[in-house]
Amino acid sequence: MSQQQTKNCITLRGSAQIICEYLKYAINSVLFQRGLYPPETFKAEQQYGITLLLSDDPQIKSFLTNLLTQSEEWIINKKVSKLSLVILNVANKETLECWDFNVQYEDGDVALSKEKNETVGSKDLKKIQQEIRDVMLQVAATISYLPFLDCRCSFDVLVHAKTDCDVPEKWAEAKPIAITNAQNVQLKMFSTSLHKMETVVSYKLVD
Amino acid sequence: MAKDGDMSLFKDVIEPFRRAINTDPPKEASVKLNFSDNNQSLKEGLANLLSLGKRKSSIDPKDAATPEKRVRTDSNVSAPPSPWEAKRLKIDLIAAKAQIIKLEARVTHQHTIRKEMQILFEEEKASLIDQHKRDERALSDMEERLQLVRRREQELKDEYNQVLKEHRENKTNWDKEKCELNKQLAELKDKLLEANVSSKDQISEMKRDMDELLQALEGAQSEVEMLKKEVTKQTSRAEQCVSLKNQLEKQTFELQQVTNKLKELEYEKDSYKDWQQQAKTAQKRLTNMAELEKEVARLRATERSLRDAVCNKLLLEEQVHQLTSRVDALQPVQQELHEAKVKLASLESSLEEWQSAARAHGVEHARALAAALDSAFSSQLTATTASSDAQSQLAQLTEEIATVKYERDKANSKLNDLLTARKNQESLIHRLQKRLLLVTRERDSYRQQLDCFEKELTVTLCGETGVGSAALLSARVEQLEKSLQGYRDLLATHDQASHAKTVENLRAEVSKWRDEAESAKRDVLKLKTQRDALQAHIERIDAVTPQLQTKVLHLTDNPAAEAQKQVQSDLEAAQEEIKRLKAALREGGSRSCPEETQHLKQQLENSKIKLKRMKEEFTSSAQEYRDVCYMLLGYKIDRTGHKNYRISNMYAESADEYLTFTLCDDGIEMVHTEYSTSLTELVELHLHQHGSIPLFLSALTMDLFTKATIQPVE
Repeated sequence: MSQQQTKNCITLRGSAQIICEYLKYAINSVLFQRGLYPPETFKAEQQYGITLLLSDDPQIKSFLTNLLTQSEEWIINKKVSKLSLVILNVANKETLECWDFNVQYEDGDVALSKEKNETVGSKDLKKIQQEIRDVMLQVAATISYLPFLDCRCSFDVLVHAKTDCDVPEKWAEAKPIAITNAQNVQLKMFSTSLHKMETVVSYKLVD
Repeated sequence: MAKDGDMSLFKDVIEPFRRAINTDPPKEASVKLNFSDNNQSLKEGLANLLSLGKRKSSIDPKDAATPEKRVRTDSNVSAPPSPWEAKRLKIDLIAAKAQIIKLEARVTHQHTIRKEMQILFEEEKASLIDQHKRDERALSDMEERLQLVRRREQELKDEYNQVLKEHRENKTNWDKEKCELNKQLAELKDKLLEANVSSKDQISEMKRDMDELLQALEGAQSEVEMLKKEVTKQTSRAEQCVSLKNQLEKQTFELQQVTNKLKELEYEKDSYKDWQQQAKTAQKRLTNMAELEKEVARLRATERSLRDAVCNKLLLEEQVHQLTSRVDALQPVQQELHEAKVKLASLESSLEEWQSAARAHGVEHARALAAALDSAFSSQLTATTASSDAQSQLAQLTEEIATVKYERDKANSKLNDLLTARKNQESLIHRLQKRLLLVTRERDSYRQQLDCFEKELTVTLCGETGVGSAALLSARVEQLEKSLQGYRDLLATHDQASHAKTVENLRAEVSKWRDEAESAKRDVLKLKTQRDALQAHIERIDAVTPQLQTKVLHLTDNPAAEAQKQVQSDLEAAQEEIKRLKAALREGGSRSCPEETQHLKQQLENSKIKLKRMKEEFTSSAQEYRDVCYMLLGYKIDRTGHKNYRISNMYAESADEYLTFTLCDDGIEMVHTEYSTSLTELVELHLHQHGSIPLFLSALTMDLFTKATIQPVE
């Protein structure tokens, strides 16, 4: 849950939490919508005023918590520029889909920051949640045009971090992925006034 | 031999002469003997004589020389001879005279000898001639002989030549043959060589083969020994088996015998049961006999009644027949009646219609109707005539309209022509007006020129003042320029007139090109905007993914890697299983899962037993069913083939008494057999009249039963 210190005042950490929360729901939603795991392993949850589905698989849960706690740290330190959710064909390791979550850093409310002596934003939380809801609805709607995944698929999350970032334990460098004959679809973006999240899905165009 | 003889004879003759000559050597014997014949022996003899003569002659020249000397001396002696010489000469002379006398005696003697010799010689000559003749004869004989010999020789030579030729020919032939044979020999030698080589190879191969075969033989022998041992074992086993088999056969034979006996006993038992049943039924019947008699009486009464009824029935049938015939006769009549009724009704309805129509027209009676009709007809006729007139008028009018239309069209076309002509003329007029304008302008210009000239002339005529002349010249120049301008205008107008069309075409083209250019510009603009958009997109993407500044990180234990590992492990497990299964398959399926096979075998056996039991059950139940049928219905039914059934009665006298039936689409039919032909009565009654097979069969049963049960009693 977002941490709200005072009304219309969002700290850097709170903003990062909002972003990571969004990422958790977005990744879970994609996994459900794209049918990577059986639907019975998901359970519904009310969030952002809509019903969203979260995976009940302990492996996925642990993976996401590990990923998002580390990502939160990096986002606070402005080390991350992009997170990519990659959907792969298990048989031949071919990348079929890529969900890019571009993170951009904003200054927030400069005047309030000076007053509070730390970087803070002054955007209304409800407005932010409204924006996130719109994006989530769009994610759910992508199923109508994304190609059908008719093979055994799995996913991975690649974090595009800055070069001076340390590689922690259990993490490793990966190769950047590329989709041949890719089609990009830009979804709506939302901002916490400190971070701006842009969601792009690119998929292999089947001819 | 003759010669030798001759020669000896001749020597004998000559010998005394020789002696004589040797004693007193004749001086001229040699000369005189020179005439002797050419005989060789004679010559030899003579040669001896001559050698003697020569010896004498060596003295002779001395003798001959002396006279010459004397001659010379005679001639040369002119000087007086000395006394010694004279004496000596006288001695010599006397000696010479004595010698002469001697010699003369000798000559005479010699002459005689010569004559004798001549005689002898002649004799000898004759003998020799004879000899010669003989010799000649012998010679001729010899020659003949020689000829003969020569001929023979010739012949022989010919023969020889022939033989030689033959020989040569033969020789040539032989040579040829020899050559051929030589060739053959060479070939044979080559072949022999080849054969030797090949044989050597073969021999080596054979040796090798032989070695192999020997080895194989050894192996085979060892195997044979092994096999012999086995054979001995097997034979012992076979003997055991044979003995067992014999025992088995004996047992089976005994079993069969026993079963046969059993069957016979069963059959006897069955027959006994049948007999028992028959006996029981017979007893029952006998007990029922009285009742049956009563029944017979009752049945006879009923039969009488039935016969009466049959008579009545026949009467009724006749009546029915008559009635049906009558009905048949009446039916068409009735139909006609119906038709007539229908017609009548229709006619009545039509009449009513007519009547109603007439009433509507106010006519009550038929006559009035006829009058009305007549009047109507006449009015119609007049109307038709009037209508035809009107139609003809209409046609005339339409024709007139058509002509008028045609004329109008003509006039219209003329009008159009005239209009076009007018337009042309108007344009002509326009042009002419233009021309007129031009011409007037020209005329004006000419006039101006003329005026100018006149002015000039007047100026020149008036006087030659410097300033005035200059002004005049300038005015003239101006005028000339004006006229030039006018000409230029004229030219321009002319050009416009001639090139108006081309200009228009060009304008059209230009406008077209301009349109195209505009469209192209629009495209360019579009493309530019697209390019800008794409560039912006690229820039944005670049901005979003500054790959050089970022590094890609991910969790090592991500779901993709796990899935990958799982797939890998699955694959390995599957491959191992495949290997295992393949190995199992190679070893043989039975070993791989003995439990399952055991289970399956058991199942199979169970199912077999089940099947067997079911079969037994089925056969027993079928037999039972058949027996029951036989017992209840008295018929044994056999299925002889597809839809063919043979039934034989319980009371049939022999096995040949059977009936056959075939199952058809519409029931069952009886097939004629020998037995069925003998049952014509029953067939006629029950099958043909009643059409009931069960009835027929029961009747047959009754019949047979009565026959079978009553006859033995009788």
